[in-house]
Amino acid sequence: MVAERLAEIVGPAHVLSRQSELLVYNSDGLPGYRRQPRLAVFPGTRDEAIAVVRFLAAERLPFVPRGAGTGLSGGALADDIVVVGLHRLKKIISLDVENRRATVEPGVVNLRLNKHVAPHGLLYAPDPSSEAACTIGGNVAENAGGPHCLKYGVTLNHVLAMTVVLPSGEIVELGSKVGERDGYDLRGAFIGSEGCFGLALEITVKLTPKPQAVRTLLADFTSVDKAAHVTSAIIASGIVPAALEFMDGATIRVVEDSIYAAGYPRDAEAILLIELDGLEAGVVADQETVRRICLDGGARQVRVARDDAERMKLWQGRKKAFGAMGRLAPHLIVQDAVIPRTKLPEILATIHAVSEKYSVMVCNVFHAGDGNLHPNIAYSADDPAESERVHKAMVEIMQACIAAGGSITGEHGVGLDKLGYMESIFSETSLNAMCELRGVFDPERRSNPGKVVPVHACKEWHGIPGSAKSRGAREASPLEAEPSRPIAR
Amino acid sequence: MPGCALPNTPLAGALPGINACVHCGFCLQSCPTYLNLEDENDSPRGRIFLMRSLLEGTVKPDDASVQLHIDQCLGCRACEPVCPSGVPYGQLLEATRATLYEYRPTPFIARLILFVFAREWLLRPAMFFSRALAATPIPTLLSGIKGRLGFAMAMLASTGRSIERSNYKPVTRGERGTVATLRGCVMEGLFSTTNRATERVLTVNGYSIVGAPGQKCCGALHAHAGHLEDARALARRNIVAFERSGATFIAVNAAGCGAIMKEYGHLLKDDPEWHQRAVNLSARVRDVSELLAAAGPREGGPLPVKVTYDAPCHLIHAQRVNEAPLSVLTAIPGLELVPLHDFDQCCGSAGIYNLIEPDTSDAVLAPKLANIRDTRASWVATGNPGCLMQIGAGLIRAEISARAIHPVDLLDASYAAFGQ
Ligand SMILES: Cc1cc2nc3c(=O)[nH]c(=O)nc-3n(C[C@H](O)[C@H](O)[C@H](O)COP(=O)(O)OP(=O)(O)OC[C@H]3O[C@@H](n4cnc5c(N)ncnc54)[C@H](O)[C@@H]3O)c2cc1C
Ligand code: SF4
Ligand code: SF4
Repeated sequence: MVAERLAEIVGPAHVLSRQSELLVYNSDGLPGYRRQPRLAVFPGTRDEAIAVVRFLAAERLPFVPRGAGTGLSGGALADDIVVVGLHRLKKIISLDVENRRATVEPGVVNLRLNKHVAPHGLLYAPDPSSEAACTIGGNVAENAGGPHCLKYGVTLNHVLAMTVVLPSGEIVELGSKVGERDGYDLRGAFIGSEGCFGLALEITVKLTPKPQAVRTLLADFTSVDKAAHVTSAIIASGIVPAALEFMDGATIRVVEDSIYAAGYPRDAEAILLIELDGLEAGVVADQETVRRICLDGGARQVRVARDDAERMKLWQGRKKAFGAMGRLAPHLIVQDAVIPRTKLPEILATIHAVSEKYSVMVCNVFHAGDGNLHPNIAYSADDPAESERVHKAMVEIMQACIAAGGSITGEHGVGLDKLGYMESIFSETSLNAMCELRGVFDPERRSNPGKVVPVHACKEWHGIPGSAKSRGAREASPLEAEPSRPIAR
Repeated sequence: MPGCALPNTPLAGALPGINACVHCGFCLQSCPTYLNLEDENDSPRGRIFLMRSLLEGTVKPDDASVQLHIDQCLGCRACEPVCPSGVPYGQLLEATRATLYEYRPTPFIARLILFVFAREWLLRPAMFFSRALAATPIPTLLSGIKGRLGFAMAMLASTGRSIERSNYKPVTRGERGTVATLRGCVMEGLFSTTNRATERVLTVNGYSIVGAPGQKCCGALHAHAGHLEDARALARRNIVAFERSGATFIAVNAAGCGAIMKEYGHLLKDDPEWHQRAVNLSARVRDVSELLAAAGPREGGPLPVKVTYDAPCHLIHAQRVNEAPLSVLTAIPGLELVPLHDFDQCCGSAGIYNLIEPDTSDAVLAPKLANIRDTRASWVATGNPGCLMQIGAGLIRAEISARAIHPVDLLDASYAAFGQ
């Protein structure tokens, strides 16, 4: 009945209700978590999307927005409720070259926007490694970052305005295309709301002129520790690189085994990929300073990419590193902690010690410039003993990051995966404030229920009326709630 | 995987390849069926997930929607070269189709085609009849009618539209070694002009042609449909024929055939008696453009035509041959090569897919035709019979004046203009 009504809105080909067809929507980029949706609906136009949300509101049905499903925190999973897929809304509505802005539908893929604006000498700065697949809507919801966000800022700094459908079906404009807005600017509240505040339907982004000069440097080291100290030294020098990325030996070698082999030295224990951009004269000076810092800090060699083709290759290797790890073992788990940059050497040493203790293989590839760590562990979930060790190792790593004054997510969001850590870093007062803010956008808690803020902290949604699953008011408590334990996939 | 739901099936054997998928989604935007049908079930990541689910038992092999989404895959393998984890998608698809084959019939028309292609005594008259029909005005007359019959007629009509050229006699010093050519069922049946041109241009470029009697259909269509045993039987016959020829190289001018022949080693991996022979044979297989590019190719006479190039999926994605066909075209004096937008996207031909899944095939073809129209080229060069007919038929039906042609035919016309 619900399916039929939705089919009237979007056409029968774009509503899925068979269990076997919904299977592929049961996970995102972190398939250790699976939740089977009840229904999936894919509106093809803005009007259809609004009609879908209004229908769901009238029926009081909870739903989960979904972009490309590349999220790494289980954010787009729908537990026996409706998935509203926005990937069909993929029009670039307008491009205003003079005023450097573009308005897009939420399903536009990040890289496609960049390809579209490149001929005009412009770029959309936030460049998550998943840029070839993830959507701008998903970027907004997760406040996505990327290597170049060190200098240019994250999604939040590049979104001017949004048209949002609230879960009630009401349409609101947040921010302003032309500058300051009268009254409260609620952009910051919506960006990073992980699908819990409604659907972003139209997004106006700021475009950045391509820098006059760009240099990409590859420094390689025989120890992780040296690379970590050099990272701190570069930041301390006052230079703000456009990007400053770290990859350890294990990561280097999986990338070199893949089709994205970038020519990284296989025998290195760490590399730093450093990009400098701006005016030619300044870049030349910075390049020399950075080169010196690297060599003084023990780099074996500092190579500068000769041309754009080589630059692209160096970056592709970095951006495809996570994907390349699939060749190590059948299952993969990744964390997203942010730590103060000065603690980098110490935390990397801890990660190493933990990996030895539990004999698991950690691959580190991360945004060193802003201290955003991504420890990845490849393992086999079919081996219960190994899974147990991986789980313990990850918890220990996260605890060390929190103890070092860090936070639990830099860019992947809380979603389902980090729910269990929320109470270890936020007080009850803060969590309550989050719930109240949510109440402003979604008083019925129907949009992406059960994510971000632990259920019991928020008197969350308790299941669809008549649903097979309706959740208890209290879930298991934080760290023992097995925050990052994947189910065998 | 604890407890495999389909033990001892080809799919179970493909588990390591399935496990390599990390679910990152980098393949989504490269997939023509995902872009057109806009459902993850019709994406590489989704299909791999379905394969995994079949093994886990969370979905059954007789499930209609799983069969549908596996059937709707073009097998274009555009998802492979973008995958950081190196998932061998083409092999997973074959294993899945071979496993599902047990549970449901292949569509009648596909079964008929595969049956004929595996049997020379049926294939010869079928090709003779097609050729005779193509020589009459009938296909052109019927090419406009709606539906698959009209499309099939347009396909036939397109085969008779190659470039005019005079005769010339190639001479060779044979310094580059001996070559046996795969004649190919469709190539020899409907594009015999291209086959002769292939022999001539290879000769001009220093290869000496030797025969390989006893060769058969390459088995690609059978393998793609999951009829692996038929494919293996054909492969063994070809291994014998080409071994006997003693040729240094085996030249293939049909990308789909070349791709499977380069993978005979994988096809026969579980056959201890044949595996090594298959690997050795695969190592000698080259697309014709690879052999020509290695030789230069030699420059011919002027051919003042405007040409655009469309890459066959089984050349660019499966064989990873990117540059060689372009070297062939740029070696032709006077030829103006204009870029084709999305030249690396599938045209929707995909073996016999266009006859079995016409709607998706048409949806994939439409942007291709529009892009070709935008180039204003008079020829679209592409090195695979399926693509030649699919694009050729599409152009006729959309009344676009460009014609589809094999790159080798253009090079041959250039040599003819030179008198060699
Ligand atoms: C290989 C790989 C590398 C990655 N690298 C990075 C990186 O460098 N930086 C980074 O920040 N992230 C990275 N990610 C994570 C992920 O790509 C980002 O979080 C991305 O923003 C998710 O976009 P999506 O379209 O896939 O969204 P989904 O995964 O589909 O959804 C993510 C969340 O957004 C919500 N959502 C989606 N669309 C909308 C909408 N229109 N309105 C409201 N809510 C919506 C969903 O409900 C969900 O909560 C990476 C992921 C992978 C697989
Ligand atoms: S790109 Fe490869 S690893 Fe990533 S989802 Fe696609 S098949 Fe899987
Ligand atoms: S082979 Fe082609 S159609 Fe099939 S999943 Fe891969 S890209 Fe898509």
